[in-house]
Amino acid sequence: MTASSQPAPTALLPASPGDDAAWAARLAARDPAALREMIVRHARGLHRVAYRMTGDAHEAEDIVQEALLRLWDNAPGIAAKHPAGSQAAARLRLGGWLQRVTTNLAIDRLRRARRLSGEEVPEEEDDAPLADAQIEASERDDLARALVLALPERQRAAIVLTYYEELPNAEAADAMDMNIKAFESLLHRARAALRQALAAQGDAP
Amino acid sequence: MSVNEQEYYAPIAPGSPLARVLDGYDAPDLPADFAERVMAAAEARPAPLPELRRPARVGSRGWRIGQRIAIGIASFGVLATAAAATGLLQQIALPLPSAQTVWASITGTPVAKSAPRLAAAPAPAAEPAARPVVIDGPIDTPEELAEAFRRVEQVRVGRREERRAMVDQRIAREIERRRAAGLRVPTPEEEAALRERIGEEIARREERADQQIAARREAMERKVANGEAVTREDLAGRPQVDPALRDKVRELRAMSPEERREAWRSLPPEQRRTITQELRARRGIPSPSEPSPVPSPAG
Repeated sequence: MTASSQPAPTALLPASPGDDAAWAARLAARDPAALREMIVRHARGLHRVAYRMTGDAHEAEDIVQEALLRLWDNAPGIAAKHPAGSQAAARLRLGGWLQRVTTNLAIDRLRRARRLSGEEVPEEEDDAPLADAQIEASERDDLARALVLALPERQRAAIVLTYYEELPNAEAADAMDMNIKAFESLLHRARAALRQALAAQGDAP
Repeated sequence: MSVNEQEYYAPIAPGSPLARVLDGYDAPDLPADFAERVMAAAEARPAPLPELRRPARVGSRGWRIGQRIAIGIASFGVLATAAAATGLLQQIALPLPSAQTVWASITGTPVAKSAPRLAAAPAPAAEPAARPVVIDGPIDTPEELAEAFRRVEQVRVGRREERRAMVDQRIAREIERRRAAGLRVPTPEEEAALRERIGEEIARREERADQQIAARREAMERKVANGEAVTREDLAGRPQVDPALRDKVRELRAMSPEERREAWRSLPPEQRRTITQELRARRGIPSPSEPSPVPSPAG
């Protein structure tokens, strides 16, 4: 993301190896200060992801809150699997864990909302071309927002994670529980869909 | 893939028209009280359940599967055995082969067919308890006589068992004595033959006694039928024995053969004659012209 208005993604703040394992241990010990630190570190970045996925600020807040509370609940298990000083502890990234939970929560909410609204379910392959009418019918006034929100959920997540959050493909794939090849395929389709939609608006890709 | 297609799938370059459009999608900031809301929610959240404790897996997967199969087979065997033992399989009409059938199928020998088990006949209705017969005074009714016979028979059966036990004890005691004295003891075959001979003699004696008792009982029944009372001598089959003589006989019986022979020789001749006659009368042996219970010394 190159927009100067956006802060640097806090989820990608460098951390010393094993640092997150220590935080997980403190969370497991039900230390409120540790949870507050996790909120300070990760909440803004998670909120950006959730908002760009859902297009709704309040929904995004709920998603981020739920993700943080899941970390609070699952901290004992995470700490047990990543004991201090172990290799697993050095590999632990709580930011990536939270990003994965946030992305999945957002996708789940979008799918549930679609089921409740009776909207037609898109194709499994996620490669359905965007219809001009779909964009025009959007009540959202911002073109970028309309473009992103018109993408299928998983393509939307791929664009949000890689373009806006500037995650490497491997980390984004991990956040979406996909292997790298499948993710790159998904990302290609998302880019193509965006360009196709933008072209339909009359701008050159 | 054509050039246009490659452009479609290429990364979004900074400054490109698509990038300029996408950069317009700003995300709002979180509200200032967001952290406090999360902290309050975390505080109100119930503590998570503890992790399920699973036993440490020891051994390879194949061994664990084998262990489970073995436990399953053993459990099934225990349950099947319990079901067969309690008759549950028969209740649900599952034929259960007997051990003889299984063994015959292995060895090929025919199975001796047992008689079909008949349904247990219903227990006969308990007869109304007969009123016990009370012998009041002299025995002069058939009921009282039958009751007297019944009591006598009870005593006879008990005495027969006592005699047989006494014979066994004497044989065992004598064999033990001979063994302790270093004398020759009978072989098992000889002992069995001895017991058989004694048993035959006892049976002959009991048969003779039964015949005498039956004859006496017929006489007693006729007597009662004629309205006469049965006396003690009628029941005993002999006149009442003199108590002093009875005690003397019991004393002699309690002695060892040597002691008994010595004591017998020391008795006055009249007493010896009286005892001899009494014993012969009891056993129904006709009295010889010269009664002498002890054999005359040889020579």
